[in-house]
Amino acid sequence: MPGQAVESQVILVVGGGIAGITAAVEAAETGYDVVLLEKTASLGGRVAQLNRYFPKLCHPTCGLEINFQRLRGNARIKVFTMATLAGLSGARGRYKASVAVSPRHVNANCTACGDCAKASQTQVPNPFNYGMDKVSAAYLPHPMAYPMRYVVAPQVIGTPEADAIRAACKYGAIDLDEQPKTFELAVGAVIWAVGWQPYDAGKIQSYGYGRVANVITNVEMERLASPGGPTQGRIVRLSDGREAKRVALIQCAGSRDYNHLAYCSRICCLGSLKHAAYLREQYADAQVDIYYIDIRAHDKLESFYRKIKADPQVRFIKSKPASISAGENSDPILHGEDTLTRELYDRPYDLIVLATGMEPSAHGVTPALKLSTDDYGFVVPEIDEEAGIFAAGVAAGPLDVSMSVQSATAATLRAIRAVRTNGAAAHKGQA
Amino acid sequence: MRTIAAAPAGSRTYDLNFARWVYQNVDGGDRLSLCMQCGMCSGSCPIGTAMDHGPRKLFMMIRAGMKEAVLTSDTIWNCTQCYNCVVRCPRQIPVTNILQGLATVAVREGYAPEQPTAKFAKAFWFSVKHFGRTDERLVTAFFYFSFGLVEGIKRGLANLPIALRMIKAGRMHLGAPHRAKGAADLRAIIAKAEEIEKRERAQGAQQ
Repeated sequence: MPGQAVESQVILVVGGGIAGITAAVEAAETGYDVVLLEKTASLGGRVAQLNRYFPKLCHPTCGLEINFQRLRGNARIKVFTMATLAGLSGARGRYKASVAVSPRHVNANCTACGDCAKASQTQVPNPFNYGMDKVSAAYLPHPMAYPMRYVVAPQVIGTPEADAIRAACKYGAIDLDEQPKTFELAVGAVIWAVGWQPYDAGKIQSYGYGRVANVITNVEMERLASPGGPTQGRIVRLSDGREAKRVALIQCAGSRDYNHLAYCSRICCLGSLKHAAYLREQYADAQVDIYYIDIRAHDKLESFYRKIKADPQVRFIKSKPASISAGENSDPILHGEDTLTRELYDRPYDLIVLATGMEPSAHGVTPALKLSTDDYGFVVPEIDEEAGIFAAGVAAGPLDVSMSVQSATAATLRAIRAVRTNGAAAHKGQA
Repeated sequence: MRTIAAAPAGSRTYDLNFARWVYQNVDGGDRLSLCMQCGMCSGSCPIGTAMDHGPRKLFMMIRAGMKEAVLTSDTIWNCTQCYNCVVRCPRQIPVTNILQGLATVAVREGYAPEQPTAKFAKAFWFSVKHFGRTDERLVTAFFYFSFGLVEGIKRGLANLPIALRMIKAGRMHLGAPHRAKGAADLRAIIAKAEEIEKRERAQGAQQ
């Protein structure tokens, strides 16, 4: 569309995970105004829920802290949490974005002192720990929350408990009358960084997730190992609190499977190698068995695989396990065939961890935002260039954190090009 | 017109073209090349311990051209067709159908003369072909005597008390075998199908 006028140079970033945050700060630091929308009450996304990064086993809180500093100090970025994109109309350079904001019931006066949480009796499942524990109805999303501000759960609104919560706040930060609202924004380009969700392990019927005790997923393992998790970082069984020392890690639980996710989710092999490291660090006598089809530790991550493989207490068993059943003392029993020896095994474990894959998030997709997706729901990055809509991070495909950041930087460059130029020819770089 | 290719000629024990032949001629074989040797099928098999190789290993043996070892394997005969592996296979390979197709080839090419399951299948087919239904006495008698006259009498006598109790309980009747309505028509249909199959195989052999 040559001659198309750019009326707004604002870049709208949808999704406040590592890709969205990266895109927002990089666009803003280059001199563009950015609006960042996040569905939940805090930025950070799935990265905030990780205990450590592979392969160096450093803590994601560190990288998040740096990024939050960059956000906080940049006047060009406007962040809206609990906000989704409700609609988008127009074209590149002149979009009207409609943003829907859910009530947090806590305003900017909040100092995160925690008095409201003390006044609350109702306990709600903690989404940050995947529901493995509960939090007060007035809660801080997580210790690294950005903005550092409490939330009042909708469950208590309209009850006397809500009034008690309001009364407990010394700063007048509780606003029980806050209503959902919608507002419009003029933007020039959109970066779609809505990320992923763990594949629902309950759908892998024969693995018994949700039915057999002590079968958990890899994302739950991250929370178990995290100091902010339900067990303060001790890797124990939720059924009886016993230390989990004999542990099976099951690769491709729902990935590379036409009945579930047909693609390789790319991060789970490294994730499980990391889990083996957590267990060996915590228990000197831990015995970890990794069940795999192929270990996909690509390029630079191969050395991490070799390091874990050198540990005699970590066994690598080439087998896609067939099923899990409940055994004595709440020990789950793993059944399958070792494909190198043809041994049919039935092995009890303290804990079985399913390395579930990444499913693209469907969050906030509106008919107004017509994205070109592949068979699996990931956005094909190039197709919507002309429209000024760019996918970043896992919205575009299964990626690890460092690749998500690279993808976000690439999307930012494309978005800047889209709002800088007035015609398709110039946009293609021929001007 | 469709033709059925003959089983690959050459060595009866080892044949490099065997995998390709299975891909093209065994029902469901076209998906076999997708097998990634994960072990889900063999691990899921409820009678896996009663199989010499199990489906996963058998599929690798097909790729390796181990024709005789595959076609004489008890894996293809001990499959109970519960379809557990088919439901769970991450590559959606119809494992059961392939094993059944291999069993057919094994019989046709004379690889499975002593397989009891093959004998039973023949007994079953005899009853269905001639009467349109399975008659328990007919199927059992045919099956027992397929091991030889003496063995047949031995097996029959060993099971006589069970048969008598079944008759007493009204679970087995005396008299003419069960017969379906239109059994003669069914015989004609089967005869025609056999004629077509024979013709197609003859054409396949020429090619």
